This record gives sequence, C-alpha cells and structure tokens, in this order.
Amino acid sequence: MATTMRDQKLIPSFQRPLSKVVIRRVGSYEQDLLSVMVESLAPFELRVKGKSVLLKPNLVSLDPKGLINTHPVVIAAARECFLRMGAAQVLVGDGPALDRDTEAIVESIRLREYLGALGGTFVDLNIDDVQRVALPTHASRLKELYLPKSCMGVDFLVSMPKLKTHHWVGVTLSMKNMFGIVPGGCYGWPKNILHWAGIDRAILDLNAAARPDFAIVDGIVGMEGNGPIQGRSKASGVLVFGNDPVAVDATCCRVMGLRPEGVTYLARAGTMLGHLQADKIQQVGEKIEDVRQPFEVLPEFQRLIAS
Amino acid sequence: MDSESDKSLAARVCLPFLRNAQNSDGGWGFHPGAESRAESTCWALLALMESAQESAEDRAVFERGLAPLRSSQLADGSWPASAGETAGCWVTSLCCWMLAANGDDSVAVQRGLQWICDDWPSDSSPWRRFLARFSSQRNVAPVNYAYRGWSWTPGTSSWVEPTSFALLALEATTSGRLAADVKRRRELGAALLYDRMCPGGGWNAGNPMVYGVPGEPLVGPTIWALLALRGEPTRRENVSSIEWLEGAAVGIRSPGSLALAKICFAAYERSWPGGAPSLSDLLERNGFLENVGVAACISLASNTDFLARALGSKKVAA
Repeated sequence: MATTMRDQKLIPSFQRPLSKVVIRRVGSYEQDLLSVMVESLAPFELRVKGKSVLLKPNLVSLDPKGLINTHPVVIAAARECFLRMGAAQVLVGDGPALDRDTEAIVESIRLREYLGALGGTFVDLNIDDVQRVALPTHASRLKELYLPKSCMGVDFLVSMPKLKTHHWVGVTLSMKNMFGIVPGGCYGWPKNILHWAGIDRAILDLNAAARPDFAIVDGIVGMEGNGPIQGRSKASGVLVFGNDPVAVDATCCRVMGLRPEGVTYLARAGTMLGHLQADKIQQVGEKIEDVRQPFEVLPEFQRLIAS
Repeated sequence: MDSESDKSLAARVCLPFLRNAQNSDGGWGFHPGAESRAESTCWALLALMESAQESAEDRAVFERGLAPLRSSQLADGSWPASAGETAGCWVTSLCCWMLAANGDDSVAVQRGLQWICDDWPSDSSPWRRFLARFSSQRNVAPVNYAYRGWSWTPGTSSWVEPTSFALLALEATTSGRLAADVKRRRELGAALLYDRMCPGGGWNAGNPMVYGVPGEPLVGPTIWALLALRGEPTRRENVSSIEWLEGAAVGIRSPGSLALAKICFAAYERSWPGGAPSLSDLLERNGFLENVGVAACISLASNTDFLARALGSKKVAA
C-alpha cells in the first residue's frame, strides 16, 4: 500500500484536479513570518499530524549577504508551522551542489541561530545514507539514482527554493531545487551526472522520483540576471505556497514576468507532473498582476519575457 | 594556531569518536550508525593510521576497517561511492591514496591506480572538443579542453577536486609499473588545475569564469588543489592561491575546512594566519555535528609528521 507521495503512481496532468497556489505579499524578513505561514497553509488542510516532514531549502553556497540561499527565517517559520500542525518530526535538509562544506554554508546564513542546535534537526543530504531508486520516468538517459533515505522515506517533502533566475535553464524554483537531494557523496560537487543527462530532463526525472508534496518559495528577496549565484538581488516581496510544484513554479514565473511555457522543463512538467496552465491553478491570496516584479534575464532567455 | 591544543582536541574528542563510530562490518559511515562508505572509511583510517602503529587497540580497529574496503573494490579495480553501486568513481583515488599511505603496494592498489589512469573525462575527448567548436555555448564558461583531469563519476567532466585527489593518489604510488601512464596523466591533470584557477588565485569546483564573471574561489577546492600541486610551492599560481587562502582563513566557519586549511599551510610551510579562529572555538560554537570526515581532518591536522608521509615525499612542516 502506498504510504507517501513517492510510493504513488504518477497521474497525467490532464487527469489531475485543480492545483492550489497561495501568494502572500511579504515586505521583509522582519515581518511575523510564522503568522504568514500559518495563514497561508490553512487553505491546504495539510494532513501532517504525526508525520515526518523534511523541509528542503535551497542552500547553494556561502552566502553572508543572504542573496543566494533560502533565508533562514523562512525555514525556521516553516519548521515551527509544521510542528504546530502536529508533525511528529520536522527536519531541514539539503545537499549543496558546489561545496562539500555544508556546515560552513549553514553557518554563513546563521541557520543555527534560527533553528537552534543543528544536530538532530539538520540533515546534510550529500552524506546521508542512500537507497537505489529506479526512476519512474525516462525524460533523460538516467535509469536510476542513489538518493538520500531521509528524503525518500519521509512522509511529507517540502521544497523551499528562493525565487531566482538560472543561467542554464532560465529559472530555479521548487522543481530545480530538487537537484539538492542528489547526494554529492555519490555524484560529486557539482552533481555533474545531472548536467550530462541534460539539466531540463534530469529535473523532470528527479521530480517524478522525489515527488515533493508541497512547495514554499522565498520570494521576499529573489535574484535576477546571472543566477543562481552571481545575479543581482531583486526585492520581490512575496512568499508563494502550493500543493503542486509545477503550478507553484508556473505562478512564480508569472510573478517574475516570465512565460512558464518557455521554460523547457516546466513546459514538459505541465504534461506529466502538475499544472502549468493558469486556468488549472486555483489562485488564492494576492493576484499575480498585483505582485508582478519583472525579473531581468540573460540574453539567452529573453524569449521567456512575457509580452 | 596552538598545535598542542589541536593535539589535545584530537586525542580527547576526535579519535575516541572515530573508534566508537566504527560499524560492525569494520567500516565507517559519514555519521555514527550510518552505513559504511568507502570515503568515510578512508578518512577514518587515515586519521587512525598513526595511532595504529602505537596502540594494539587502534591496530585492531584499523585492521577491521581495511577489510570492508578491500572487499568492496570492484572487478575493474575501482571503488564505488556506496554499497550496491556497480560503477567506480573518484573515491578510488582516495582509497588508493589511503592504502598507499599505509605502505600498501599490493595488486589491489595497482589495479586501482590503473583504473585512475584509464579513467578519462568525457568533456575533453577529441570528438567532444571538435563538437565544442560549433557550440553556441563555447564562450559561456571558457576553459582549455586540451587539459584533462578527472571527473567525479565516469563519463562526465573534469573538476578540480577529483583531479586533485587523483594527483595525490598517483603521486603516492612508488611503483614503476605505471610510470609511463602516470607521468602523462599527472602533467595533464596539473595543467588542468592551473587552467581552472580563479582569476587572482584560489579554486572553486572548476568554473573560473561564467558569462564573463570571475568565479569566486572556495576554501575546500583551493586546499585540495594546492596540496596536489605542492611540488611547485613558489610557482606564481600557487603563491597567489595560498595567499588567497590566508585571507580566507579568518572567515572560515567550520572545523572541517579549518583543519584542512591547517594541513595546507603546513604543507606550504606557512604560519597560521593571525585572526583565524581555532578548531576548538569553532567546535564549541557550532557544536560537534558528529561528522566522521570532520573528526578525521581535525585528527590529521594535529599530526603534521604523519601528514608528511601520507602526502608522499614532499616535506610537511610542523
């Protein structure tokens, strides 16, 4: 019997019910984010009581200025929110792609100050125990991956990216964020096997295997231009929540003034993993047009800019 | 940095932690109770190698640790990253380096080294280089593909750290049987490292420039590249990179990187930069996250005499 999303069969997008996405306007990290989280998650009636939850933020690199990684105050607020919803355990875990020293990265964003002692709370997915996972889709040539047990065995997986452009695939949001679960301890820093498989295609296969249950996007301050590391900060003033990562990412693109249909992996994900079309997404909270903040993109991605 | 304090830290915290973290199969996972992996087993064995010469208890721990490593070698001579994987990877370099440091010149080690010599990255094959001439992306991250290092996993691109580990492993071998292969590959690998150095010194994973923007160096890759290239300590690139590391040491936030930096400064006969934190301060501040690799690096950093032998013939200062 299927126990987690990861055990369930994939349903083609056209057979799926409407997805729900909540957009909240949040001006700064100083706001009461816990209240925002509680209010924003309420419409989803998430059944996490007694369950294990893994929050997977986007931790890429040393980031003392807070431009690159998911902000720790957002992570801490989400953790507290899921605990209040009755989750038995809420872990935070990621496997940074470019630097083996995960401890240095989490210290650079002062995650310990917001979460308390990291032992028992934070999982370095790069060096977690792994299990062989046969990939259920074959968008790329990858047939299997060894993935972290902490991620594949969890009851409820939450992708928590930062709202950013990406110099190879256009945007990095909740789906691209799943690259961080691929363990560097098996595949290196960077996880170059995914690049060789085709980044767009690997994103699809990885999301089909990991099946994040929920997404929370930190768009309070995002990144535009040459993201995900060398871009410019972009104060976007939003948090975006949703039970369908494809719908969440499509909504984020629209908030960024970009066409999700032009993002190769999102366009394909819209047929197999979730909803891309606006009329299949129940929008709650702020309207997209009211929070839209056009992001600059590299010349290679000018085609993404919505007219 | 107070080396006595580091030795005390290693003796009080790290070595006992490593002894207790050994799994029943003899290997080590990355954390206590985690499944044994070749990489973490190598780090633990490197850390315990010296004390195994002096203590029967540690000798037993060490010997038990060697057994799963030997049995996990694949038929082609390589080592996989985790149990069950059927393809070897960069970990082979670490296994060979560790075994060579222990004086092991067995057939198993020679097979591992031969695998390293035969493992070419795919990004710089003649066919790929030909195709790259016509790629619209060829100027996005310009590097010289005539230089060839090592990849993390077979069939992918050269990167700084696996290239550095392979160079360390190949340098540690004293066998003449591989000499011809080794010389050419070492030259190409070292050339790749210099080609991938960030402008101004230091290394990141291997992207010195992307879209015209200089890459930021990182502590870990810089240390491993410097250790692999330590045969030319006065070369301009090495000097600028060790100077970058000296500047970065003040801001190091983790004991693992700090310990590696100490090893690197010792290898280059540099004194510990003023203002840099101490290992014990960082451990106290962050809390010990029970990481086998970190504990091993702290132990190694406290024992530069042993490091001199582990790193091969090049001198390592106390």
